[in-house]
Amino acid sequence: MADLTYREALRRALDDELARDPEVFLMGEEIGRFEGSYKVTAGLWEKYGPQRVRETPISEEGFVGAGIGAAMMGLRPVVEIMTINFILVAMDQVINHAAKIRYMFGGAVGVPMVIRTPGGAGAQLTAQHSQSLEAWFAGCPGMKVVAPASVADAYGMMKTAIRDDDPVLFVENLVMYNVTGTMPDDPDFTVPLGRAAVVREGRDLTLVAHSYTVQRALRVADTMSRDGIEIEVVDLRSLRPLDAETVAESVRKTSRALIAEEGWSTYGVGAELAARIHRLCFDDLDAPVERVGGAEVPMPYSKPLELAALPLESKIEAAARGLLAESGIA
Amino acid sequence: MSEELVMPRLSDTMEEGTIGRWLVHEGDAFAAGDVLAEIETDKATMEFQAYDAGTVLRILVGDGESAALGAPIAIVGAEGETADEAASAGNGATTPPPQEEEAAEPEPETEPEPKAAPARRPSKSSSKAKAASGNGSRATAALRVSPIARRMADEAGIDLSTMAGRGSGPEGRVVKADVERLISSGELTPPAAPEAPPAGDSAAAEGEIRELTPMLKAVATRMAQAKQTVPHFYVESEIDMTRAMQLRAELNGGLADSGDKISVNDLIVRASALALIQHPQSHRSYLDGKHVYHAHANIGIAVALDDGLTVPVLNEADSKPLREISRETRDLAGRARAGKLKQREIEGATFSVSNLGMFDVANFAAIINPPESAIIAVGATIDRPVVVDGEIVVRKIMRATLSCDHRACSGADGAKLLQTIKQLLQSPSLLLV
Repeated sequence: MADLTYREALRRALDDELARDPEVFLMGEEIGRFEGSYKVTAGLWEKYGPQRVRETPISEEGFVGAGIGAAMMGLRPVVEIMTINFILVAMDQVINHAAKIRYMFGGAVGVPMVIRTPGGAGAQLTAQHSQSLEAWFAGCPGMKVVAPASVADAYGMMKTAIRDDDPVLFVENLVMYNVTGTMPDDPDFTVPLGRAAVVREGRDLTLVAHSYTVQRALRVADTMSRDGIEIEVVDLRSLRPLDAETVAESVRKTSRALIAEEGWSTYGVGAELAARIHRLCFDDLDAPVERVGGAEVPMPYSKPLELAALPLESKIEAAARGLLAESGIA
Repeated sequence: MSEELVMPRLSDTMEEGTIGRWLVHEGDAFAAGDVLAEIETDKATMEFQAYDAGTVLRILVGDGESAALGAPIAIVGAEGETADEAASAGNGATTPPPQEEEAAEPEPETEPEPKAAPARRPSKSSSKAKAASGNGSRATAALRVSPIARRMADEAGIDLSTMAGRGSGPEGRVVKADVERLISSGELTPPAAPEAPPAGDSAAAEGEIRELTPMLKAVATRMAQAKQTVPHFYVESEIDMTRAMQLRAELNGGLADSGDKISVNDLIVRASALALIQHPQSHRSYLDGKHVYHAHANIGIAVALDDGLTVPVLNEADSKPLREISRETRDLAGRARAGKLKQREIEGATFSVSNLGMFDVANFAAIINPPESAIIAVGATIDRPVVVDGEIVVRKIMRATLSCDHRACSGADGAKLLQTIKQLLQSPSLLLV
């Protein structure tokens, strides 16, 4: 067992897959000599050279398209988009091509490509650089969308994503990069896509989250356990495919569900999950499914306003207590 | 704006009510306070008064028909309005259904208590209620139940209709915790699995089957519960009533012109009340692991009806002279037979007297009526040879059996109470002071 940061875990996964499979290559802005804006690819350019760690111009549409072509021809590109905010200029490539090609070619050709990109807010990067847009992609058939929230999952899911034969949007998180966690020693350790995980057991309320919000959820659970309230935290890990059954199993136990996400609640992950929970667990619910998301505004630059817009622990806790109060508890 | 009148909660234990008769007809206007109907509960026939003035648009549950608590029994509104308008208004096509009005359902006489036990699911009447409320008219009882609470209640066989507005959730929504409390408090236990009918029971199957009246249902439920959960023990004695009968004859001779008449039962009530005050350990109830001591002897007097019984209560019998006991008892018994007792007149007894002497019964044992902890059962007073001072003489002997709740009192406590009752009846002038 070794302690790594989330960033180091991702780097190790890329390194291991580059070493394991010669078809794997990395592509993105400043990922070589500069080692990437968030240093995920540090050392890899030196180790694998410019053929396999390719620098690109600032042209997301172009290099995502290049990645799709390479993937169709049998390579396994891992394309870095500096932050999820910049993927918008490549939307046509992602949605109209990467996600559709297997269908358009009658199943003859796939796109085994990973687009890895960090999302999230909290560093005063303001409206255009602080978004959590993963729900948009998770709504698109043909895509896989994952968002690991732990060091071990970052490593294990990156390896699985690279080995997957379909396009995977791998959503990292800016705030998570420095989070430290434990890695299993097994070098062949992988984590399947499409499986949620119960990361803390509880009986009173199921709190569902993904990405960095899982960390917030765990802190809320710690705080509330001091009052004797036991929250079960479910880490979705994958948004598409969505493992609603693991969530449902938890809700059947607790009778209450709260979904927290950093993105906007409207049409968000919580919206989809709430619908699934109501269908799967209708007779198990003791209160309506509740959601907490980012404030529905462009993210402000001002620190106090940014904090006010984020789904911080205090908001999640308040929503949890509200749900429990509706249920005559606490 | 028309609204539904629902079956009100007129006693703590009623699960459904039967319309004895309507005193208004469809189209009749009524004022606040007018008696709209007589409703037969499990205990008594009670008057159902209007809270507000209005007009009866439609009667949904007719004379002699039953409805579950909270089920609509009539639609009322303004003069000229029709029940159909009520229905369409309830659908909220143009105006949203006013929830506050729904919550303000008429609840005459009894204010709903948060802890009141809900009724077990009635079998037929609830579907009748459903049919009535499903007939395009809006649901009046603002019963909100979370899905899991509803499922748990269904599985436990609990009818939550009496919990309308009383749950712990928003707007009184009944939630899981409420149902868990109901189940764990033991106020309600799931109904036992239906027993398979005994083999070869075809004769019984051919017999006439009748629904129980609410009162008979209540008797059946309460007596079964009492006999199954209260640990009864019995003490028995023979009481020489010779002097009591002499005193009674003397008193009645003196009272002949007044119309008052002291009965043997009155003497027993008085003796019991005085004895209870002397023996606080036999005059307490076992409730939830505690003993509740009673300051006054409120004596329940079992009154047989044509089919069933009721037990009106003579309050503070320990502080009432025989003549008053006699008068009150006659009044209560008369109104009991007429089904005219008020709810408060059948509540609060601390001890009961059951007398079957008029049927030439030598002796019997009665079932305690909880939360009372004792009941005395007396048989007929009969001339019998007994030995007094070494000689056989004829005396008027009455046998009495005291049933006691062993959680409230010991065998010795019960014996002392019965002994004192016996001494008082055998020295009956003590009943006069």
